[in-house]
Amino acid sequence: MNEPLLVLDNVTKNYGAIEALKGISFSIGKGEVVALLGDNGAGKSTLVKIIAGGLEPTSGRMLFEGKEFLARSPAEAKAAGIETVYQDLSLCTNVDVVANFFMGREITRKVLGIPVLDERAMEAVVGKALASAGTRIPSLRTNVEHLSGGQRQAIELNRFVHWGGKLVLLDEPFAALGVEQTRRGLDMIRQVASQGIGVVIITHIMQQAFQVADRIVVIRQGVVAGDVARNKTSPDAVINMITGETLAGAGPAS
Amino acid sequence: MNPRTRHALEFVLDNLVWFMLLFVLVVFSIFIPNYFQLGIFANIIEASSVLGVMSIGLALVIIAGHMDLSVESVAALSAMAVGILFCSSGIGMGVQLHPEWLMVPVSLLLALAVGGLIGAFNGYLVVKVKMSAFIITLASYIWVRGLVLVVSGGRSAQDLAPAIRWFGIQRLIGLPLTAWIAIACFVIFSLIMARTPFGRHLVMIGGNETATFRAGIRVNRNLIIAFVLAGAIAGLAGWLLAIRTSGATANLGVGLLFNAFAAVVIGGVSLKGGVGTLPGVYAGVLLLSAINTAINLMGLPANFTQVIHGLLVLAAVLLDAFKQTIRQRLA
Repeated sequence: MNEPLLVLDNVTKNYGAIEALKGISFSIGKGEVVALLGDNGAGKSTLVKIIAGGLEPTSGRMLFEGKEFLARSPAEAKAAGIETVYQDLSLCTNVDVVANFFMGREITRKVLGIPVLDERAMEAVVGKALASAGTRIPSLRTNVEHLSGGQRQAIELNRFVHWGGKLVLLDEPFAALGVEQTRRGLDMIRQVASQGIGVVIITHIMQQAFQVADRIVVIRQGVVAGDVARNKTSPDAVINMITGETLAGAGPAS
Repeated sequence: MNPRTRHALEFVLDNLVWFMLLFVLVVFSIFIPNYFQLGIFANIIEASSVLGVMSIGLALVIIAGHMDLSVESVAALSAMAVGILFCSSGIGMGVQLHPEWLMVPVSLLLALAVGGLIGAFNGYLVVKVKMSAFIITLASYIWVRGLVLVVSGGRSAQDLAPAIRWFGIQRLIGLPLTAWIAIACFVIFSLIMARTPFGRHLVMIGGNETATFRAGIRVNRNLIIAFVLAGAIAGLAGWLLAIRTSGATANLGVGLLFNAFAAVVIGGVSLKGGVGTLPGVYAGVLLLSAINTAINLMGLPANFTQVIHGLLVLAAVLLDAFKQTIRQRLA
């Protein structure tokens, strides 16, 4: 494995007496795509939120680019170069496509020392980004509430591709996408990874994991139940890891 | 539907309140004798300045997805603070500053500070302690009004210093300066909401707070600023109110809150947050004022105003639902 980008070392998360994560350890390399699999309630989304700054771990530590790392807020994670696409979409449906694309990172120009939104510049960037990804949206000035589920998800995906960063977390990003859009989404992930960006993708669909991932990490009941290279395993073996029937290839990353 | 009719239709939907205002003005001008006069129109603008300014602050907080019921009492407290210091009779202390014009910035800053402080208090409890804005600001609505009664002892201050009164008397193109202050506030805050990252962020926070937090926007900071602004703007409304009445009474401005709510809702701001613009709110304020003036001119008993305002709010909400269905069909 090449240089690790993010290392998780025995990360735990308790909600009161409930141990959602009992000690997760694995690592993600630069330009590597890791598929995170596991049954409902296994702790995948909790883990993503901890990396993305939405939750603080109860114990354990993380190393990002070799340095101790803990994001206390999504803003901190973002500043460190971690982009996240959440399962329930993070779009403000009451504003237009451009405003969503630039949420929190608006292009401004100074007028009398006051930052003013540069709508034309932002619209140009969004138009280019969507066009190069092959996403068609009738008007970039339409409020997102009037767009379809697939169009919304496409905006989120294009957003992360555009902003890039160093590590991208995707929590079931293709739930609302059609076949063609999903294929394009998977291409996008490979393309992002080829730029040296680490990608963690949570998915329920085995086929997607095998299509896109370099490595497959299975979480079961708050621990890593399997961490294997994609070309050394099979969908059946992974399903067994998820349900806990076998412990083949089990154990945390060494 | 071709793009041009679609654009035209969207333009009408976006500015529906202004068209309603225009419609009402035309109808009144035709059917009510003496309505169509420049003096009447100037009066409509003048009479709406205090309510207009207060509505701006209320609208900011509602657009950001919260609520501020305290604006009316805050305005009253600011007016009372200015009244007590700078009025010469009643409970006024008649403080004199030299040169005289110095009283203008001092009284204005005092009013803004009183409002801003209460706004900061509300904002802190709502945002940091995570209590319901409705309850917190309802409490402020009550205790701040109580404070007005306490500091005034139920009595009033009269005869505001002429240097401050000057803003209510001096006219520019037929309107007193106080009305121009209200108009300037609408222009400035409309620009802030529509053209700056801060305004954009408030709208997005009102739409989906989680998403903005995840996007790294400092949600808490922005919300507290919104509450402080709402308080300070209410303070400004109180300053204008003190000028308008040349003093302050203990029950000054009672009932303004509900008019402000009506104006905000009629202006197209959704109580759910994230929807609405300030120019629309100004149109809502003017619409209420235009109707009040019509009722006065027709010699109807003033009690009718409330009935009509209430119906207008209902109509505005129904209209809003209707607008939504049209928009959905447009998209």
